[in-house]
Amino acid sequence: MNGPLATIAIVASLVAALVAGVHLMVNRPPGRALWAVIAVVEAAVIVFVVWGFIQLPSAPAAGVGLELVLYLIGLAVVLPATSWWIRDEKSRGAAAVLVIALLVVPIMVVRVQQVWAGPGA
Amino acid sequence: MPEPQLRVNRGFGRVLVVVYAVFAVAATSRSVVQIIGRFDEAPVAYVLSAVAAAIYIVATVALARGDRTSRRVATIAISVELVGVLGVGLASLVDPSAFPAASVWSGFGSGYLFIPLVLPIIGLWWLWRTRSLSED
Repeated sequence: MNGPLATIAIVASLVAALVAGVHLMVNRPPGRALWAVIAVVEAAVIVFVVWGFIQLPSAPAAGVGLELVLYLIGLAVVLPATSWWIRDEKSRGAAAVLVIALLVVPIMVVRVQQVWAGPGA
Repeated sequence: MPEPQLRVNRGFGRVLVVVYAVFAVAATSRSVVQIIGRFDEAPVAYVLSAVAAAIYIVATVALARGDRTSRRVATIAISVELVGVLGVGLASLVDPSAFPAASVWSGFGSGYLFIPLVLPIIGLWWLWRTRSLSED
């Protein structure tokens, strides 16, 4: 599960978290530019998730299929769900929520890689 | 000049709900995998993970709704959460053999950067801070 798709998803998400963090610091609600960045991140995440589902049968660790499926589904929905949750929020709470969601994404990608490799890896 | 009115599910409340939702999803996924896949290895820890997951789900929904009844539900759920993380954290230190596998609350949530210990304190503080505005 290691590879360029995971790296792209992680880097894109961290860059977007930085942008959202700037919005948080200057107390600015998410604008079109930030939403565009988040859309790019979600696209990268979806590509990783689809690739993950395709690779699922060849996971080296045994008995991790359900856990991987749950992580991959969670990865796919975390940004859309949090974006919906702050759709009418005008305070800096909106940017704070995006920072958290965008930091959760790389954590989940790394977790997928760990589960994929198994406890002994 | 009076302070602007705060609602439990607005502003910082949005952040709190998302953190609770992340823990609800993480704890639920973890407990489903543990209970289905390897329940016999550590039944106490895995049941506690499931209880924690249920409490996180209730707290998330109640905080997100934010009406008067939901606030009461959230207060109860988060109070139980605080008692749980303190009790399980203490028990896992006193008798580690009872917890051969970690639950969300083992070691006061040390496996999750102690966020499970801090979260209910912040949750109760936020409910107290917004206490006069829940009558809608």
